Amino acid sequence: MTDDGSMAATGGNQLRRRQVIGGVAAATLAAAAVGATKAEAASRIVVCNWGGEGIKAQSAAWGQPFAQHSGVPVEFDGSGPTFGKIRTMVESGNVVWDVCDANLAVAIDLGRKGYLEKIDWTVVDKNKVRPGFWNDWGVSHFVYSFVLAYDKVKFKDKPPRTWADFWNIKDFPGSRALSARTLGSLEAALMADGVPARKEALYPLDEKRALAKIKAIKDNCVYWSSGAESQQLMRQGEVSMALMWHTRATTLRDEKNSHVDFTWNQGLMIPAGWIVPKGNPAGKAVFDFIAFTQTPSTQIELLRLDGSGPANPAASAMIPDDLRDKDPAYGPNAEVQAVADPLWLADNQDRVYNDYVKIISG
Amino acid sequence: MLTRRSARQGGFVALPALLLIAVCFVLPVGNVLRLSFTEPVPGFENYVHLATESLYIRIAITTLRISVLTTVVAVGLGYLVAYVIAQASPGLRSWLLLVVLIPFWMSVLVRAFAWILLLQREGLLNSALMSLGLIQQPLSLLRNETGVLIGMVHYMIPYATLPLLSSMLAIDSRLMAAARACGAGPIRTMWRIFLPLSLPGLAGATILVFVLNLGFLVTPALLGGGKVIMVAQYIQFGINETLNWGIATALATSLLALVLISLVVASRFIRTETLFGAA
Repeated sequence: MTDDGSMAATGGNQLRRRQVIGGVAAATLAAAAVGATKAEAASRIVVCNWGGEGIKAQSAAWGQPFAQHSGVPVEFDGSGPTFGKIRTMVESGNVVWDVCDANLAVAIDLGRKGYLEKIDWTVVDKNKVRPGFWNDWGVSHFVYSFVLAYDKVKFKDKPPRTWADFWNIKDFPGSRALSARTLGSLEAALMADGVPARKEALYPLDEKRALAKIKAIKDNCVYWSSGAESQQLMRQGEVSMALMWHTRATTLRDEKNSHVDFTWNQGLMIPAGWIVPKGNPAGKAVFDFIAFTQTPSTQIELLRLDGSGPANPAASAMIPDDLRDKDPAYGPNAEVQAVADPLWLADNQDRVYNDYVKIISG
Repeated sequence: MLTRRSARQGGFVALPALLLIAVCFVLPVGNVLRLSFTEPVPGFENYVHLATESLYIRIAITTLRISVLTTVVAVGLGYLVAYVIAQASPGLRSWLLLVVLIPFWMSVLVRAFAWILLLQREGLLNSALMSLGLIQQPLSLLRNETGVLIGMVHYMIPYATLPLLSSMLAIDSRLMAAARACGAGPIRTMWRIFLPLSLPGLAGATILVFVLNLGFLVTPALLGGGKVIMVAQYIQFGINETLNWGIATALATSLLALVLISLVVASRFIRTETLFGAA
């Protein structure tokens, strides 16, 4: 209506144009295409991710090296692989993405609904991810964490260390920022309520308990819906503590004259994951690309470029000193965190979202 | 007056536009309507959910409340702006009109971010008020319903001003002079002559602003701090992130129905042309 509604990043204009032309061509040549199998040697791989830093970093760490290694160019579309777009593409039979930057919960959810290709384990190696960081439709290409960021000037002598401190408005004054999505917020609430920071202790989430805890601080809380917004809230001093992605918190911490720091303690590690939309244009060739992104050196390069933590334990073991305090998967950092459970999230996330909205908008 | 023949020619000329509307608007809307009755299972289930679940009722109430409040304030302010512009000399008038139109042409995102800079805790407004000693604590003007209302009213004032202005400019100024000559004071002249004559523009502006308010997305998302959820935000989330297309399309259909009803009601009182400034 009035709003142009273009909140999504606009990185894929060129690609979209190509998509339209491709669509027309596909329609006219439909008869010829029927029965023809996907070309064995793909002419290119199209990766869809979330734009911003991720486009430059993933292109430098994975896209260009893979093109050199295999001769197949890799193109990036930063418009964001939302569920809706993947579903529309698959249902209309006009899939333009070969691989999407998502997470393992999305992989289970969309995979079960029939929108994804299964991962080809003859090409991709299960042993090159942390234990359990894969499923039928997804394989983790990096990890990221929700961490507790705080104003280190304001809490000079006694910085917050736990979610219990985050919930303690009396001793740690100031507003708080949580995510507008349930992921991270519910887990933090449970840890604040005394649940240990371990996957087995947290999941299945006691949603009632978590929501009651969130209700208790909602008068002091705002909810961000993008990483940039979470940074803005901390940078401008709108809030004194925030639940935010470690990549964003690291950038804030490393800024000149920064007043922000964060703790890995009680962080929540999320296995990000590649997913392949059903009927992807490059066919099986995409798994060569996915396998390539498992190499430790490329994952360390990605960590250097945009802070994404290596999903391959072999990479975590080789982290150079200067990157250790950025890496959620680095031993001492990972030890104090909990790992998210993709299976529970895939089963329950959408349902709990409605209850969450009821509380934060009430 | 159009003759029958020229009307037919007119219809012919409009054909490409009608086709475009059919392909780009009617088909997708039809698809939305279909999905709302078929996802996830065929039937009226989605609409039953909408009418019975407290979350959807609350989202509807929030949307209506914010839309009505924004309409009242924006049309009220727009009336004042239009009045000043209508009374100004023609030279000044085009400058004043430009002042109204510049924000009108600016992106909704830019305008929302500008408000963030002005209204945030350490923003321009709070810093100024605090350094003047007028307030001790920064005012909470952002990331709540107040922030959403400020942003939406600001966005809507040009939409209110333009139809009001065109209706005011059509008023014969000699009528006011005649009223004054017959002994009516300025207030009485305003109340009995000018206001009634500007009513079609007022009604048009009210409906236009209200209808546009119902679909706001970016402004509440950026200025509401995640706490003010209007229906368009929930639809976007349901389509893109949760694949809850049944509920999302049912909400979209209900929203469209509300807009159409508003327009039909409006058309009984005013000529619809006045909505779009062609009075």
